Amino acid sequence: MIRLMKYELRKSWYLKAILLLVTAVAEAVFLIGLWGGKDSLTATGVLLLTILATTGTMVIGLGTVFVLHRDINTKQSCMLFMTPHSSYEILGAKLLENAISILLIGAFFFGLGALDITLLFAKEQALDRLWQIMSEMLRTINENLTIDAPHLAAFLWMLIADWLTTVVTACLADVLSASLLAGKRFSGLISVLFFLALNVALNWLIRLIMNQIPTDFVTSCVVGGCLSIVLGAAMYVVTAVLMERKLSV
Amino acid sequence: MLESRELTKKYGSKTAVSGISLKLEAGHICAMLGPNGSGKTTWMKMAAGLVKPTSGEILFEGAPVSIESRRHIAYMSTEPYFYTWMSAKDVGKYYEDFFEDFSVERYRNLLARMELTEDLKVKALSSGMAAKLKIAATLARDAKVWMLDEPFNGIDLLARDQIRECIVERAGEDRLLLLSSHLVEEMETLVDRAVYIREGVLIESVDLEQLRTERGLSMADLYRQIYTGKEVIA
Repeated sequence: MIRLMKYELRKSWYLKAILLLVTAVAEAVFLIGLWGGKDSLTATGVLLLTILATTGTMVIGLGTVFVLHRDINTKQSCMLFMTPHSSYEILGAKLLENAISILLIGAFFFGLGALDITLLFAKEQALDRLWQIMSEMLRTINENLTIDAPHLAAFLWMLIADWLTTVVTACLADVLSASLLAGKRFSGLISVLFFLALNVALNWLIRLIMNQIPTDFVTSCVVGGCLSIVLGAAMYVVTAVLMERKLSV
Repeated sequence: MLESRELTKKYGSKTAVSGISLKLEAGHICAMLGPNGSGKTTWMKMAAGLVKPTSGEILFEGAPVSIESRRHIAYMSTEPYFYTWMSAKDVGKYYEDFFEDFSVERYRNLLARMELTEDLKVKALSSGMAAKLKIAATLARDAKVWMLDEPFNGIDLLARDQIRECIVERAGEDRLLLLSSHLVEEMETLVDRAVYIREGVLIESVDLEQLRTERGLSMADLYRQIYTGKEVIA
């Protein structure tokens, strides 16, 4: 399994390297702006970093779906599927590598964001004031919302769990296209529609369950994230069974 | 050692392999013959566990092919399948990581005999060099069954001789080598059994010595007879 993960990392490292490179450029723009007193550069850096932080994990997730697509639809599929590993291990290694990458990249951006905000307001000597303003803004949206570590962590957990489940669902749609729908007309379109429908259904199911449990924001995020992971695990099993029994490469 | 029972594979309305029952024993080098699209590759891929049969079954040492059988069956696809980011050294490392029966020493030796070096990049290889690299990686395993799909494709005469030598060296009483190739006459001196497939159907599985002594035909003669429909006079 570790060896499979090693090669999964190798297949997608370039995407991560590009993300880190672009992030380094954005961070440099931010720091130059901050220390050079150029507000427009600082703002550009913040904007770029915000975009990268929000899209970075998405890109990494999509990268996994792209690699899976290539692994089951090209001549190189032989390379992976001739190894003495089951589809459960092959898919598991892909998803685990992806989950670890998303968590690490999420943590990286979280840390970088915290560092940059601290630098920004340490320089402006208004860090306390910043937290106060942000907390007040959140409270205007919902009086239970506060900006603190548990709230942020719970919210990020929910986002990452949701995204991981979306990635697994996309993998299922891709495998469906290459197995049960292989050689059939409109297989690509059908699998995309299947992916969209399944996502809507899963979100509806999570909301339905969450509505039965009146709770606070943090618990709601944690439970919602856990539900996503459970459903994602179920999608993983379905995908692996489909690969094991029906996928020909 | 390797047996298929009523093995069928359909792709939509097209039948690639149709009810092939075939038993291949250890101790032989066997040719799988047939024109393009006759079902040779599909049969081999099913034996390698890469393609799932529509019906029937394929057994390795009496048990259905599985993850376990992949440890003992070395399959070489006719298509170039190594990751393009790899070098020849990476290919060896990959095989070493996944196959316990892979010998790095034997791989290096085979590379040298094929006049390849470990620093060569897969994406920069000519088709002949890529084919030789596939052969080196596959034959560096100490498998029970080797299935080489078109091992001589795109390879010049001298390299073909090298490959023939390497194949013969891997033969043994407890091993089975199954080769598919269009170069029927060239295979004649290499193999001792031949399986003829046409349009997904098994036509004949013959012992070449018996074919020569009892029917007075060579492997190529029978090939011509089967695929042209014309009787070959012995």
